[in-house]
Amino acid sequence: MAAFDFREDERASVLALRGDWTVDTIAGLERGLAEVSEKLKAGAVVDVSSLGRFDVAGAYLIDRTFRESAAGDKVRIAIRGEHTNAMRLLQAARKSYAGPAPPPRHFQGLKGFFDLTGRAMVSIADEIVETVGFFGETLVTIGKQIVNPRLVRPVSIVNVMEKAGLNALPIVMLLSFFIGMVVAYLGARILADFGATVFVVELVAISMLREFGVVITAVILAGRTNSSFTAEIGAMKMRQEIDAMRVIGISPMDALVVPRVIAMLLMTPILTFAAMMAGMFGGVLVCWGALDISPAMFLGRFQEVVPAQHFWVGFVKAPAFALVLAVIACKQGLSVGGDVGSLGSRVTTSVVQGIFMVILMDAIFALWFLEMDW
Amino acid sequence: MSADVAIRVRGLVTRFGTQTVHDGLDLDVRRGEILGVVGPSGTGKSVLLREIVGLDKPTGGEITFPYFEEQGIEPRLGVMFQDGALFSNLTVLENVEAPLREHTHLSAELRTEIAGLKLSMAGLGPDAHHKKPSQISGGMRKRAAVARAIALDPELLFLDEPTAGLDPISAENFDRMTEELARSLGLTVFLVTHDLDTLHAICDRVAVLYKGKVAAIGAIPEITADAKGWVKEYFSGPRGRAAKAGAAGG
Repeated sequence: MAAFDFREDERASVLALRGDWTVDTIAGLERGLAEVSEKLKAGAVVDVSSLGRFDVAGAYLIDRTFRESAAGDKVRIAIRGEHTNAMRLLQAARKSYAGPAPPPRHFQGLKGFFDLTGRAMVSIADEIVETVGFFGETLVTIGKQIVNPRLVRPVSIVNVMEKAGLNALPIVMLLSFFIGMVVAYLGARILADFGATVFVVELVAISMLREFGVVITAVILAGRTNSSFTAEIGAMKMRQEIDAMRVIGISPMDALVVPRVIAMLLMTPILTFAAMMAGMFGGVLVCWGALDISPAMFLGRFQEVVPAQHFWVGFVKAPAFALVLAVIACKQGLSVGGDVGSLGSRVTTSVVQGIFMVILMDAIFALWFLEMDW
Repeated sequence: MSADVAIRVRGLVTRFGTQTVHDGLDLDVRRGEILGVVGPSGTGKSVLLREIVGLDKPTGGEITFPYFEEQGIEPRLGVMFQDGALFSNLTVLENVEAPLREHTHLSAELRTEIAGLKLSMAGLGPDAHHKKPSQISGGMRKRAAVARAIALDPELLFLDEPTAGLDPISAENFDRMTEELARSLGLTVFLVTHDLDTLHAICDRVAVLYKGKVAAIGAIPEITADAKGWVKEYFSGPRGRAAKAGAAGG
């Protein structure tokens, strides 16, 4: 254990060190030493004759005690007694001391609050401008690829279609199936009070076709695909792979962004259709089991009373959602900076922005289609 | 004799699948020396480092620390990885504070000051303290990584390619800093490098790994005196001669 004695002898004030003075043992000594530093006079010496192990942390603490005392920081600390490395370490600590460190540049209190708020507002504004700009750039690049089909990368597109589209099929269908069942059950329970259980068919069909099928698909894709796109592209950015592509003359827009956008444009409508069918199937099962509406009756009534426009109202939203989701994911991936923290926050932003945009756009679509009486 | 051996490697065997990296490798690192480890790419220099510090487990053989075992203490190890491996979501100062925070009970104030001192020893001034690793240059990142490696005053310091990717002047400054640190703090340094200038300038001894064994070990003049094969090519190629001339001239 580290300890020390302070004494005044006839020649000078002496700080005698005992035991090990290392980074592990000096924790409790600070207060005692602060008192000593008030008593140390010019010409004070350190007695190291009974000092055990010694390291830079211990040396620094001694150095600080002397620096803050009347002994001052001008002269070298005088040493009494023999020790293997005390002299060397005290010198090293003194030599490397760079003066008091500057505090971090943060604003405190109310000023800090305004500082943060201001920065957040500016970054939101920047983000909107950048994303819209990126959206435009993506459209232009797609346009170029249409004009010059040699730029299209079918291998990448098919690869993304499989990983982000086909592999999402089971989860999309399963969740839609459950939602279809829930809607049918809920409808059955409430409509039974009015003796109008047969309207469950309309309820399930219209809600699945117009809203649920496409929105469930888009939200699942926002969580599943956006996170993976952003993380993939972001990791490539961090490892300078994107820079390497640019230098070789491969445009990341051509090679990374557009294949993903096209793949999602192709797969999202298919997933949406599957989601609609799975949801309806859930509804059919509930009607059959709980309401004695047989599948044949269900389908008959479905054909009779649900016009195809409901399907199209839901279906046309799929490519729009796909485009916006894929663009957000790629944009966030390319915005990843050099540190790990930005990768995490960009993936989060990508998913949150994606879900936000899906629901916002869905609301706008809904208003518009209803006003148009479609 | 064993009192002076900081790290003892005996009969080390490392295999990845069918590929044998180390094949009965023996090596002694003396206390207080700067040992440079060289060898062609793929001879397991970095793997050896990782095995000594305990990150990887060798297939066979043993690694001991005789001097410290005699003293009854467990040696503390500081490692600087090739590209620094600083925690990117912490500032430079927080990176150096991290081991202190984890392993000691120092007051926050003293901890910050000691971390600052270590950074200053590694050649980084106070203006770098509050920057993130992504905001500083590669050379500064390496210095910060050294500061973090010596945060707890280790007895053994491991450096993996410390001067790779630095310009010659920064590399020379870095070498000088390493030597000064090692001498003033009494560190034993295990240094994996390809930089011939580093070998000539600061290494007390050099160990050459070749075909899974230590092909030669000793001061550079001793090694080059009866060098054969790869060792000869390495030290007496044009780069080797230039580095030697530089060391002799400077």
